[in-house]
Amino acid sequence: MAGSLVFRNHRLGLPEHRFLLRVIVRSGIGEHSYCPRNFVERREGAPTHQDALDEMDAFFDAAIADLLHRTGVAPGDVDVLVVNVCMFSPGPSLASRIVRRFGMREDVAAYNLSGMGCSAGLVSLDLARNALRARPASVIALVVSTESIAPHWYTGTDRSMMLGNCLFRCGGSAALLTNDPSLGRRAKMALHHLVRANIAADDEAHASAQKRDDGSGRAGISLSKDLPKAAARALTLNLRRLAPRVLPVTELARFAVRNLCKNLVLSRGHAKKTHVAAANKINFKAGVEHFCIHPGGTAVIEGVKASLDLDAYDVEPARMTLHRWGNTSASSLWYVLSYMEAKGRLKRGDRVLMLTFGSGFKCNSCVWEVKGCMADKGAWAECVDEYPPETMANPYMEKYSWLNDVQGDALLL
Amino acid sequence: MSSAAQLKRLKPVYQCVVNNFLLVLAVPLAVAGVVSLARVGPEELLAKLQALRPVHVFLAVFLPAAAATLYLMMRPRAVYLVDYACFRTKASGRVPFGTFLEHAKLVTFIEGASIDERSVRFMTRLLERSGLGEETCLPPAHHYIPPFRNLEASREEVELVIFSAIDDLLAKTGVKPEAVDFLVVNCSLFAPVPSFADMIIHRYGMRSDVRNVHLSGMGCSAGLVSVGLARNFLQTAPRGSTALVVSTETITPNYYVGKERAMLLPNCLFRMGGAAALLSTSPAKARFRLSRVVRTLTGAQDGAYRCVYQEEDEEGHRGINLNKDLMTIAGDALKANITAIGPLVLPASEQLLFALSFIARRVFGSKGIKPYLPDFRMAFEHFCIHAGGRAVIDELQKSLNLSDEHVEASRMALHRFGNTSSSSLWYELAYIEAKGRMRKGDRVWMIGFGSGFKCNSAAWECIEPARDAQGPWAECISRYPVDIPDVLKH
Repeated sequence: MAGSLVFRNHRLGLPEHRFLLRVIVRSGIGEHSYCPRNFVERREGAPTHQDALDEMDAFFDAAIADLLHRTGVAPGDVDVLVVNVCMFSPGPSLASRIVRRFGMREDVAAYNLSGMGCSAGLVSLDLARNALRARPASVIALVVSTESIAPHWYTGTDRSMMLGNCLFRCGGSAALLTNDPSLGRRAKMALHHLVRANIAADDEAHASAQKRDDGSGRAGISLSKDLPKAAARALTLNLRRLAPRVLPVTELARFAVRNLCKNLVLSRGHAKKTHVAAANKINFKAGVEHFCIHPGGTAVIEGVKASLDLDAYDVEPARMTLHRWGNTSASSLWYVLSYMEAKGRLKRGDRVLMLTFGSGFKCNSCVWEVKGCMADKGAWAECVDEYPPETMANPYMEKYSWLNDVQGDALLL
Repeated sequence: MSSAAQLKRLKPVYQCVVNNFLLVLAVPLAVAGVVSLARVGPEELLAKLQALRPVHVFLAVFLPAAAATLYLMMRPRAVYLVDYACFRTKASGRVPFGTFLEHAKLVTFIEGASIDERSVRFMTRLLERSGLGEETCLPPAHHYIPPFRNLEASREEVELVIFSAIDDLLAKTGVKPEAVDFLVVNCSLFAPVPSFADMIIHRYGMRSDVRNVHLSGMGCSAGLVSVGLARNFLQTAPRGSTALVVSTETITPNYYVGKERAMLLPNCLFRMGGAAALLSTSPAKARFRLSRVVRTLTGAQDGAYRCVYQEEDEEGHRGINLNKDLMTIAGDALKANITAIGPLVLPASEQLLFALSFIARRVFGSKGIKPYLPDFRMAFEHFCIHAGGRAVIDELQKSLNLSDEHVEASRMALHRFGNTSSSSLWYELAYIEAKGRMRKGDRVWMIGFGSGFKCNSAAWECIEPARDAQGPWAECISRYPVDIPDVLKH
């Protein structure tokens, strides 16, 4: 379907189509990701305010109602509501919309976050955790993350902005948090550490993911070439603060000693820098069993895999989420976690590291400890058995590879 | 003497007794205790003291000390306002009625705009009765024909407003940007990527571990939501942390070019403005102490949820639809908020009267007995009511039985700056201080209303009033207050 969507944009020339084909084939996204109704109805070029609201309503009705029903928590019991949707902020806020839809109390502390990028899920978690700590009594917080895709199909020709079309897909998550000890017995996980790093002070990092006009009046999210570098820097800053809280003293000591040796060796110029540097990476597996990496794209996942020295088993949940759901922005982490749960990987006492990146540029991370039984298949119920698939080759290559063979610059469709 | 006059004379006595009830009870008991001790005699007293064992003495000293320490430790940490700064509008951005209406007339000729002559006449009538003056400001993009409503122009307005407010604030307080630990920004109708919080961190080179949040879509009362959130952060953070709260509204993308009447009202009322405030848990250099933040959200009811609603009209033009029932719904939200904040701020005498009246209405039926309206003037010296519009301020003045002087700050802020949404409360506080009316110990009540429908309150206590009239009112405070006629013919 994405193919037909792309071809409907008559402004694109042959070089743009070839570029898109390369991006889509290498994106790691499969054929089952979701788009909003107005795309299916061929109205992606002229989205209305109501389309965006309908997309949100469809998600609220499904996810939040299901969560409240499964946990047995009534909407009137929710004390804190945090909603984050990066690219859509209507008036009244989506938080108010949820309060109305589910009939929550008058004194519910609602917060609506926007513009905070793909790592807003952890920002909301931080906010909810703070709200729980600042209140004396037992509190229930509902954290809702989703993204608005309906009004944001880019119809121009700027390449940095077309990437968004290829990556972002529909999805959302809702999580219930509490500091009530009586509910704690039924809890699945406990939140231990949360670290946020924001390098917006740097010019390049700040401009690496930006919503702007493309010069011909069309707005879109522009992802610049400096994005991987900004991500790497933010990741380093974040892990530097996270590592001492998460890793055992033995691993920290080992890393410190090796670092010292490396510096001594380098100062004497005995060995090549790259060889020594590559050998000394901190081993996060000493403190964490599972890794929930934001499936921002294959490059992000591969980058984190290389930095943290992970193997294919560790990044499989992220890769499979990217394949099945695409990049659903802030909620994608929960799909990755749900994959691990559906595959039965999460045992009591295991620790899970959630790592996200987002515009700004931010890198946020948190560590959960599994407390209860986690065997719920959730969103993966119907398809987890088909994963991992035998082949990850993108069918678009076969279907559209003729684009590479066309002569000339123009394409008449 | 009539019974009403008699009751009025007795009221101060009643208030004195009830508000100092513990003292009224303790004094006779203390006197009785002293008298009985005197009767006992010095020798018997000495004998009793010698009979006391060390453990009694220890417990008598230790237990109260331990209880007091525990009580002090369990209390939530106090949060202080170090200072605040509002965006100072420039005369070049001024939009007198003549300019606004001429501009609107020319917009009717633009292709794609549905606004017509009838709409312009309607807006003229609205403006004349709105309570706005001739010095309110619109962003530069709205002075063009057609008005620019794109991303770039919106970003320029944001940068102009919030950077100048934050520059003023940092200069006033002498705080370095690297010292800020939390950053909360709220802007209802514009949420770019990267967010405002990222823009501020970028511009001022803040630390990479500053915890920041951008609240969006939360309406005109979002300023108090941000203050409440900053308070939450500060109470769970190490002592001495600072939080920067920035409230603004971006007008540029929200010029409505349709002809739906309910949606033309925001064009006439919303104006450019913004404010930045620095909060901290350290009392050093603090000017106000935040005592309460109470939030009420009545969005569970359909009518309340839809009364301020952003939507597209029949021709596809997006704007904010203000329902006719806005005043009733605001009144209900206010009642709910007062019910929540009343017990926290009112003196015991008023609460008792309110409780008695409530019980009497229940027992004897609500027809015969009017509900008792607690006198909030006993709890607060100053009132900052969101300058949402003339009708809102009038309605609140009536509901809370306030004098013209109490609501003067709100009316004058509406006249001089228009409805600047979430930052209007800070402009009103600046008015009270510029007029030299703030004294140490004065209590201020900030009431915000906004889409949702929310009614949020914050109660502040002044520690140190402003030393001079610097701020958004510096150049014009001497002209205020002005008399605002019902219909301002221009």
